[in-house]
Amino acid sequence: MAEAEEWAGRLGIGNYHDRAKQLLSTENQKDRIRELLELSTIYGLRLFERTGLDNEGVGGEQQRVEMYEHVIRGVEGMRVLGHVQSFDYKYFNKAVAESKIHRKHPIYLQEFLDVKENAKGPIKVPITGPYTLVDWSFGGYYTGQRTGSSLKKQKQEAKREFLLDFVEQVIRPEIRDLIDAGASWIQIDEPAITTHPESTDMELFVEGWNETVRGFNCKFSDHTCYPSEIGYKVLAEYAPKLDKCSQLALEFANRDGTSLGVDAKHREGYRDLQYFIENGFEGEFGVGVVHVHDFSGHVPPDAGRATERNIIESPELVRDRLLYATKIVGDPAKIWANPDCGLRTRTWDVTYAKLESVVKGAELAREASR
Amino acid sequence: MKMPTSAELGGIHPRSEQLIELTRSYDRGKTERPSVEKQIEKDTIELVELQDESGFENFTDGAFSWQDQLRPIVESLDGVTTGTRYSRWFDTNTFYKKPTVSGKIGLATFNLKKFIHADLLPKSKPWKVSLVGPYTFSELAENLHYKTQSELVYDLAHAEHEIIRRLKADGVSQFQIAEPCLVYRPYREQTLSNAELEIALAAIRRTVDGIDARFTIQTFFGDATTILPHLLKLPVDGIGFDLFETDHTRTKIETKKTLALGIVDSRESNIEDPKWIAETATRVSKHIFSDNIVLVPSSDLKFVPRKVADAKSRALAEATRLVEERK
Repeated sequence: MAEAEEWAGRLGIGNYHDRAKQLLSTENQKDRIRELLELSTIYGLRLFERTGLDNEGVGGEQQRVEMYEHVIRGVEGMRVLGHVQSFDYKYFNKAVAESKIHRKHPIYLQEFLDVKENAKGPIKVPITGPYTLVDWSFGGYYTGQRTGSSLKKQKQEAKREFLLDFVEQVIRPEIRDLIDAGASWIQIDEPAITTHPESTDMELFVEGWNETVRGFNCKFSDHTCYPSEIGYKVLAEYAPKLDKCSQLALEFANRDGTSLGVDAKHREGYRDLQYFIENGFEGEFGVGVVHVHDFSGHVPPDAGRATERNIIESPELVRDRLLYATKIVGDPAKIWANPDCGLRTRTWDVTYAKLESVVKGAELAREASR
Repeated sequence: MKMPTSAELGGIHPRSEQLIELTRSYDRGKTERPSVEKQIEKDTIELVELQDESGFENFTDGAFSWQDQLRPIVESLDGVTTGTRYSRWFDTNTFYKKPTVSGKIGLATFNLKKFIHADLLPKSKPWKVSLVGPYTFSELAENLHYKTQSELVYDLAHAEHEIIRRLKADGVSQFQIAEPCLVYRPYREQTLSNAELEIALAAIRRTVDGIDARFTIQTFFGDATTILPHLLKLPVDGIGFDLFETDHTRTKIETKKTLALGIVDSRESNIEDPKWIAETATRVSKHIFSDNIVLVPSSDLKFVPRKVADAKSRALAEATRLVEERK
């Protein structure tokens, strides 16, 4: 409570005491959770506003367990089986399809309505993409239906059926609800797509994406991060085929050096941007300019500072990353400054400092471009 | 025709839900390290019991404290650090800390506990440790020091040879050398060239040279049909492949080496029917004939939850029994 009160003060959440009192006096647990989720969203939105971000997203997805399980719990036919390791001491709760799937209830709608009511700036609604949801799940029912062909082919066929069911039965109804409620920008998070750079999977991803956005009048963008060793090269080949995809938000800072400079040598982490230009992607880029996980390397004083497990990038380092990205893309209007991915594994203090650097770095980049 | 006579595990076994909860809590600074260590011991003992009850011959400790498949090796070497980048482990939703090679590689310090909980394994059974082989290590690392991959791989092979020698001296007699990069390289534009293959094979020979232990070269995540004939020429006891990625019908091989058949899918949750496992092993043996087939998971079982991994392990053991009964 003390931390919540401290942040309420820092973020200017004026009615904190009234809301906290109301929350504690609410006897019905369901109502209390609802109030808590709404209050959490307000915290997230105010945090983003205070740091000066141009777009408030949905306030840091405060109402979601995490990007995978939050969706899965709203899908009939899926059962959570248990945790598997993502990396180090980070895990995710992995589910299996036990029958043909369909949506139980709206998944992101209430969060969006809370955000819409409380946000002071533009909103972008991130949702987890169908390809990623399928790739991170066990096929179960879909895999078990098949016999005859090779084991590998059986798995590929099952994956396509599973994906198209996710698109039609879960994701499209969700997008319809969000658009009807007023959403104008939906970011489809597809971190899994760079996991399988083979053409069969890339074509499946494009098929799933195009089916997902078909017929909707809304701004759509993609977020992808932490690719395999091939980087974004293969995604770049397929990105122009993604219907209505007006922006790619990509992780880069994780793979970049930590010294200042706007040349290829210093900004090695951003070289893959070139592939998108070469392949003719004409949309915007959300460029990851701050790292979102544990960091243990060296940081020169002018590029930021390393705390216990974090790097707090300086605005100057963010500036140089943006300037280099602009050099490749050619048009500064197409460059957005983003964190690499969600900052959920960082503390609020670290998050605040990083987002401030993103905003100040973007200002410095704008000044330098004039 | 002889058929499989044994089953065994290899690589990293998934942590239990209790260990996961404790490590998460430890990561947030809310649990002390000894509590985590105690649960790691408990997980290890449970896996040892499972292997014992299942009649496994070669025992692994599950590698529950390994953060990724490379970390214990990296932490034992000079010239390489874990670096600051997380990279995707092949086409899975798991990540490893990418090793950064910044100097000449050599063994720095050897600590048995980094590799195996020997104190918790039965003294009467052979112990098995799985290590990523030098070629795959070199492919997954960032090289800032060596002029050629060949030089890097050679030094890695030498360093791993030293690690294995010490593990052997401490009682480990079975080694699985994982070389998935021989069969799965989606991040490389060219397929494995003959020159690279020669480097990889020479490195494996260097790694195992002169050590009196049982070695199996395990491939996974890719189709092994074209690489198998080359692996069969190596001075090792066994070779293995991932049946869920390998079209075995494309090949016809007869070997006296042990065949480690990756026959339960370490990336799907369905528990394979032991009868299906036994029948499939029989079908495979019509194309790749070996006097000794060992049934193994297709790769580390860390990609499925613990209860699924345990059930798959028991299915392997049951399939072995079915085959024995049919003899």
